Amino acid sequence: MTPQLALEPVGTPNSAAGDPHLTEDQFGELLAASQEIASPGATRAEAHLLCCKQCTSELDSLRESLSLFREASTAHADNELRRLPQMSLPARRLLLFPALDPAFLAAAAAAIFLVALLPMQGFRQQTLQPAATASAPSPSAESDEALLEDVNREVSASVPTPMQALDDPTASASPASTGIETPIQNSDQRKD
Amino acid sequence: MVPENIQTFSSTSLNLGAGARTTPLDDLENVVALYQPRVFRFLLAQLRDRDAAETLTQETFLRAWSARASFREDCSVATWLIRIALNLARDHTRTGRFRFWKHISANAVDVADVAASVPNREGSAEAHLIAQEQVARIWETVASLSPRQRTIFLLRFLEEMDIPEIASVTGLPLGTVKSHLYRALNVIRTRHNASSSNCGNQEKA
Repeated sequence: MTPQLALEPVGTPNSAAGDPHLTEDQFGELLAASQEIASPGATRAEAHLLCCKQCTSELDSLRESLSLFREASTAHADNELRRLPQMSLPARRLLLFPALDPAFLAAAAAAIFLVALLPMQGFRQQTLQPAATASAPSPSAESDEALLEDVNREVSASVPTPMQALDDPTASASPASTGIETPIQNSDQRKD
Repeated sequence: MVPENIQTFSSTSLNLGAGARTTPLDDLENVVALYQPRVFRFLLAQLRDRDAAETLTQETFLRAWSARASFREDCSVATWLIRIALNLARDHTRTGRFRFWKHISANAVDVADVAASVPNREGSAEAHLIAQEQVARIWETVASLSPRQRTIFLLRFLEEMDIPEIASVTGLPLGTVKSHLYRALNVIRTRHNASSSNCGNQEKA
């Protein structure tokens, strides 16, 4: 949108030349215009400023306020930046670790792979070593084998034949003394 | 025309290999040292949130460095960085608007802090106080502008970009930039005049 360059018809023509005051767009154009660029509209507005103290005063006041705003904002941002702890650290980290370089990524991946392999290799060695040592006889294994031998010996010992008469168990102890009646005795008593 | 800062950086670029094209952004440490205050200042005024401004400033340089190969040097490094920062700020406010406004209450920039940063020029204490009031008034008025008007106003009066540069950063036509800028200035002028007349009345009373 092209700004309206017509002079504002409102207000009393209190400038020396009797011209009406600057329009909003002319104020905007004068405030926003770069020093080196001057449009024809701005030139016309500047001509008005030469003879209108009110517009000149208002424009100067606005320029001053905008300048103060910039200075204050800059000073405030600089103070805030000083308070922040090392804002450039991520940037430095990037410089030290150029993670986005494909060659660096490949090298890093290879290094991680190798580092991951090393502990696994160590673990394998640790697991193989006890297996090798287990084959050698240890003192505890010897005692176990002796125990098994004893068990075998007792199991394979001769057992009485099925119909062989048992020794009289009452020879040395009466049932009253033990309180136990053997089934064989009962069957003999029944026969009697 | 090659901007001055580009010539400065070309001599200190990192070695990126025979096939890689060197850009002014290769020497990131220098770029950060030179432009961090500017990017942070813009983001702080735009977002009015310290944490967000800090985070997005870092993100701006990260993105710039990542995309440095696409920097065609058709604008200055500063313009390119501000463009990235502006896009990040837009995304930030768009995607997490609710969270942003909720969060801002804890980290919002206090207008009194900004006003207190007004340089104390040679003059009376009263003049200094009036200057502080003027700055506070503008800071508050800028907050009430529409996002587009605020962005354009800040690019012009904080970053001192000219209108074609603002059009390049925002991707808007020149006429639209001017239109938004004049509207923003009109709002500021109206509030400024109102406060000035109030001050005048108080002085008379």
